[in-house]
Amino acid sequence: MKKKLSVLFALLIIASMILSACGGGAPAQPKELKGTLNVWSFTNEIKTMAIAFQGKHPDVKVVYTMIPMTNGEYQTKVKAAAGTSDSPDVVALEAAFVKEWVESDLLANLNDLVPLTKDLKTYPAVVQVGTYDGVTKGFSYQATPGAFFYRRSIAKECLGTDDLDKVQAMVADMDKFVETAAKIKACGTGDYYTVGTGGEMFLPFLSNRSQPWIVDNTLVIDPKIVEYVHFAKMMRDNGYESGATQWTEGWFAGMNDTLKDANGTPKKVFSYFLPTWGLPYVLSPNSTPKDGGAGTGGDWAMINGPMAYQWGGTWVGVLEGSPNSELAKEFVKFVALDEENLTNWATGVYTNEYLKAIDPTTPDDQQQAAGDFVSSQVVVEKITKSFDKSTLADFLGGENSYGAFAKAAPSVNGALLTGSDDAIQRALNDPLAAYLSGTMTEAEMWAAWLDAVRSEFPDLTIPEAPVK
Amino acid sequence: MNFTQLKKNSTGYLFLTPFIIGFLVFGLYPVVNTLALSFTDATLMSRSSHFIGIDNFKRLFADNVFIRAVGNTWLIWICNFIPQIGIALLLSVLFTSARLKIKGVGVWRAIYYLPNLLMPAAVAALFNALFAYYGPANQFMVRAGFLSEAMRFLESITVTRGLVVFIQWWTWFGQTMIILMAGMTSIPIPLYEAAMVDGASVWQMFTRITLPLLKPILIFIFVTSLVGGMQMFDIPFLLTDGRGSPLSSIQTNNILMYMKFASSKGHIGAAASVGVLVFIMTSICALGIFYILRDRDLDQPKPARKSLDKKNAERPQS
Repeated sequence: MKKKLSVLFALLIIASMILSACGGGAPAQPKELKGTLNVWSFTNEIKTMAIAFQGKHPDVKVVYTMIPMTNGEYQTKVKAAAGTSDSPDVVALEAAFVKEWVESDLLANLNDLVPLTKDLKTYPAVVQVGTYDGVTKGFSYQATPGAFFYRRSIAKECLGTDDLDKVQAMVADMDKFVETAAKIKACGTGDYYTVGTGGEMFLPFLSNRSQPWIVDNTLVIDPKIVEYVHFAKMMRDNGYESGATQWTEGWFAGMNDTLKDANGTPKKVFSYFLPTWGLPYVLSPNSTPKDGGAGTGGDWAMINGPMAYQWGGTWVGVLEGSPNSELAKEFVKFVALDEENLTNWATGVYTNEYLKAIDPTTPDDQQQAAGDFVSSQVVVEKITKSFDKSTLADFLGGENSYGAFAKAAPSVNGALLTGSDDAIQRALNDPLAAYLSGTMTEAEMWAAWLDAVRSEFPDLTIPEAPVK
Repeated sequence: MNFTQLKKNSTGYLFLTPFIIGFLVFGLYPVVNTLALSFTDATLMSRSSHFIGIDNFKRLFADNVFIRAVGNTWLIWICNFIPQIGIALLLSVLFTSARLKIKGVGVWRAIYYLPNLLMPAAVAALFNALFAYYGPANQFMVRAGFLSEAMRFLESITVTRGLVVFIQWWTWFGQTMIILMAGMTSIPIPLYEAAMVDGASVWQMFTRITLPLLKPILIFIFVTSLVGGMQMFDIPFLLTDGRGSPLSSIQTNNILMYMKFASSKGHIGAAASVGVLVFIMTSICALGIFYILRDRDLDQPKPARKSLDKKNAERPQS
């Protein structure tokens, strides 16, 4: 009897210990965070936030892995690692493939962070992209409305003015844009191109479709896509674009006026279609020639351009089954839904010295310059004024880019993204390039693209080609 | 007696176990698993998968994508293998020739082998930059007057395939040459001396002595190159857009497999079916080579060759 009682007591003690352990976890909110977190991303951007996160929580160690997105390498690596023991805890997901993940069951439900987006007035499109079937699985620190950047000097020379409103009126819709392109070509006697590539104009057309790529398991070839193909061909045939490939040397050379054709004749590019992140990450860093020289800083201006659009953006999500899911969730909260962090991020607080003070092993080029456009309207409203006088404003000849983006951000539509976008769009590049250079007819191009899509999506219903 | 024999054997087995375990885990299991996967609709983005019979294989033959990839692979491999073995044979004959006695053979050999040490990724990225529309190749060709205006090299099927063939040839002929030279130097010199005394020409010595004794080495080169060629991936993958652009003309078997694996949901079942077919195709071809080039002497010993065989008896040969 005594023995039985003691067993019972022992059981009771164990039970109470378990209960208290369970109960103790929930209210202990300010409990210091601890542990190791594996974060994977396709750029070194989030690494800056990871170091700042470690500064806030000294007992947390973030192991950061960067895998470039070239040819879809990152996407493949994450897919292969998810669900295995090599799986990261937190993944960064780019706009082209974030939906694929949000629609899958591989990302954890982060619905309890959604109330924070109300306080921060996160742009609705940003939350919409991270949500599927009422479950939110990804958040972003960025909103990415697109813009149109042009060279003030060329505008003055060819269009007679570099005034923002007047130039906007000259490119207000696609017809006017083409008229302006013809003017620029004539004025530069063929040495001025209106844009670097046709490819960068894909996003404006893409954002203005009426339907996403896939509806009811059927591929939708929106009229805007057909329009884009014809537009790109017209730009190439008329010599309005330089013929460079996006993200290659020739395309970047146009940004700093070092573009030369094969004969050595200098060529100039009038404008670039780039979104919010394009200004601090692409245009501004490439505006100075690598081998010295004046560069084009101060000669740029930014307007809305012919169409409102959005381009890119990075979402962060927690992988289902992560052993550190609580810590991972805290990290997501810090990255995308923390007012202080977003403010620091956008205003250039995270300098290299700041990061080195937290982690002395920080590489010398790791830092976050001011100017990334954040997803919280509350933060945007607070900091817009601070950009009246900034290096980015100097770069744009005194214009406050942040204010302009703030006007464009609410118009962004998040409903057009689907999980298959990346594969469908990547399949179009090769046939389109062949059509533009004249090695394929339009009918052959559509057929080749539809074949490629059919090969990648065996179960998808493929419609007739628009041109046969 | 029995006990010691067992002990002896068990020591042998003990030494064999690391390899056998390694082979089972990293060799056999992936092959069996690939085969099993190829009959399912498994994807990386979903946890469950179903047995779908041979649907994956049916789909591969439903359009010409797979057949085109196989055709591309064979074309690129053959175009690279013929000059590769030809030039490697020529160079190794020159370098091992007892008459010419070329100086600094070691230096030449090292120079020809060097490209093989380069990372394929770096080589592909280099050629991609060289042949870009605004790249140095265009600048040179136009300024030197070879072209009237800049050309889109990497959008031309012939140029792009030619570049892949050239890179494959350039990085591998040195390796082939070294293996051939090793084979040639192991042929006993008295054979050539005897032939010279008999008044044989250089060509006769090459076809009657060098080639027959080199046959095992040639089969080895042929089979390894075939296996490597059928799995060609890195250079064509990185030279253009990772999809075998332009117009899928350098889309090889493995690029197609990788595309299916990396497609939106990660269709590993469909990718495995490509792997299985390539495995079957390569196996049949390799066995075919062994069959065609088998040592016919073993079937019907020819008395005329006896003297040569006797002279060569100390040399193990199969």
